Amino acid sequence: MIRTSRPALALIGLSLASIALAGCTEASSADEGTGAATGSCDPADVTLVGQVRNESNPYEASWLDGGDAFAESVGLEQQRLTYDGESTKQQEQIRQVLAGDTDCLVLNVLPNGDADTKPIVEAADTAGAFLVTQWNKPADLSPLDYDTWLSHITYNGVESGKQIGDALAEAIGGEGGIIALQGILDTGAAKDRFAGLEESLAENSGVELLDQQTANFSRQEALAVTETLLTKHGDKVKGIWAANDDMALGALQALEQAGRTDVAVVGIDAVPDALTAIEDGTMTATVSSDGPWQGGIGLAIGYCVATGELAVEDIADDNRAFFAEQFLITDENVAEYLTPKTDPADFECDNVFNRVAGPLS
Amino acid sequence: MTVTSPAEVVAARPQPRRGVSFRDAGPPIALVVIVIVFSLLSPQFRTLGNFQNILDAASVLAVVTCGATFVLLMGSIDLSASGVMAASAIAVALLVENNRNGNDLGFLGIVIAIALGAALGCLSGVLLMALKVPSFMVTLGVSAIGLGIAILMFAGVQPNIADAALESWATDRLLGFTYLTWIAAVCVLVGWLIQRYTRLGRYAFAIGGAEEVLALSGVRVAPYKVAVFTLAGAFYGLGAVMVTSQLGAGLVQAGADFTFSSITAAVVGGTLLTGGRGGVLHSTVGVLLIVVLTNGLVQIGVSPYWQGGVQGLIVVVAVAAAALPLRHRNQVVK
Repeated sequence: MIRTSRPALALIGLSLASIALAGCTEASSADEGTGAATGSCDPADVTLVGQVRNESNPYEASWLDGGDAFAESVGLEQQRLTYDGESTKQQEQIRQVLAGDTDCLVLNVLPNGDADTKPIVEAADTAGAFLVTQWNKPADLSPLDYDTWLSHITYNGVESGKQIGDALAEAIGGEGGIIALQGILDTGAAKDRFAGLEESLAENSGVELLDQQTANFSRQEALAVTETLLTKHGDKVKGIWAANDDMALGALQALEQAGRTDVAVVGIDAVPDALTAIEDGTMTATVSSDGPWQGGIGLAIGYCVATGELAVEDIADDNRAFFAEQFLITDENVAEYLTPKTDPADFECDNVFNRVAGPLS
Repeated sequence: MTVTSPAEVVAARPQPRRGVSFRDAGPPIALVVIVIVFSLLSPQFRTLGNFQNILDAASVLAVVTCGATFVLLMGSIDLSASGVMAASAIAVALLVENNRNGNDLGFLGIVIAIALGAALGCLSGVLLMALKVPSFMVTLGVSAIGLGIAILMFAGVQPNIADAALESWATDRLLGFTYLTWIAAVCVLVGWLIQRYTRLGRYAFAIGGAEEVLALSGVRVAPYKVAVFTLAGAFYGLGAVMVTSQLGAGLVQAGADFTFSSITAAVVGGTLLTGGRGGVLHSTVGVLLIVVLTNGLVQIGVSPYWQGGVQGLIVVVAVAAAALPLRHRNQVVK
């Protein structure tokens, strides 16, 4: 009898728990609201939600930490959501959040892929929640067509790919063979960054691209691919261009195992280990999008609009979807970036668009 | 004698010698063919350095696949490798000398990490037997538990290892091969010995072949199932330690791709998903097939945009070829 009832008990327990949880979120929806684009919320009533893929990625963890820092500066708390890189889980979380009180809700979301952005935007718009998205968005979807989708922030991958390409060319003395480790091939980030490398190669005619392979943004795959490419091209390899730091770190590991110390490595993202490697001199350069700032700024824009300090119609069209500034990190300036921190001044309502580097093309 | 009636065909089934040998020979032949083809196409492929590199790259997958094979032999499926490996990888990185805390347990840390893997495997087995839920659901759940443990221990800062001994696994060589390659070779040997000579291994086959018969003949199946999942967990744990040595850091994503690539390797090598057929050596051939394929496609310069598709196609063809001799057995495909 015990044996048969145990799973049933577990199921009942779980469903009770979920009902209780659902009850909690429903219970907080008390305010009445009109869902007008520009809010008049009491700052204390604003709910801040930050959503990224997972906290096990240092960059995304630092993003949520930046969100916490902003939330603390306005006396609130950020709800930290992670969806493990699963699109369905992300949509489910968005639905759950929007099922609660949405009048003073601010969302700072990293959509899993381009295709995930539209359902998130539409759901938030219907519910009247203030939304800022980052990185991924289909080209034909514009915040200008929506009331509460305040802004989309992304980074010019062509520019960062070129920046590290140029840094790599300089590090190998403008002469020699390099290999490129691409990201997940069907992502915009991978495509743009590689296009940036190609621009850099066009300008640095002494640098030859020996081979390009994908390592899917993964440290482990980069290790295996680099080992293979090192046996294929041997001493001709003078530099490795990686579309993100995780792959650059995998490549560094492969170089160490092959006993090679004469190869320059560059990446993008400025993860802590890459910064340490740059400080040590084993890595040449990386590019920072400033994760903590990203985590804070999305909430800050939403907070400013929700509290009425900023009106949606006052936001310039170019600021509704923009490339944010990014920073090349080399051994010269790495010290400033070793401890990620946010500057509260960046999040003041007058300054939230200070880092606009250009409109989305 | 020369006229075979249907009844005799059925009676003859327990020892179809030619069928067995043909099926067993399929994947190794495919491996040899692929190696020859790549060697002809690429001078870099046939260098000694590249073969060392291939065995190096195959080492972790070989160990993980050893574990998965025992579960597959029972006709169960284990989707917990990625979660178990995540937990063990972070655990070992935090227990040996590292940049996060003052621990410096050395070899003991490695043993604890493998024990953690074994414990999670044991949990899969116990839940499977206690709840009577299909193994793929239970192990998927345990995988999530493992990931959860890993993320808790990870706490947002990546632990980098500084333990010289563990780092040397990936860098130092004995007779031209890294320690990782030797560890994998020993694991395959141990796995094969367990499968061949211990009651655990023989019962794993028997459970996969006909669990009811085994139970009816008075064998208590449950402890053996739990033991097999525990063994698999230990292999995943060791695999995670090896990944950590390779990457120099404990990653939550350490095992991300291994769940499916280990099952793929096992099946490509001739270990059936339905259980009772195949074994550690079959699966190891499957591992080599997949790793050689990945390496060779890069060496001959297939565009990365084509590689995924080409690799998938070759795997499907290889599995279809290996399964060809089974068709006449009226095997139900599901």
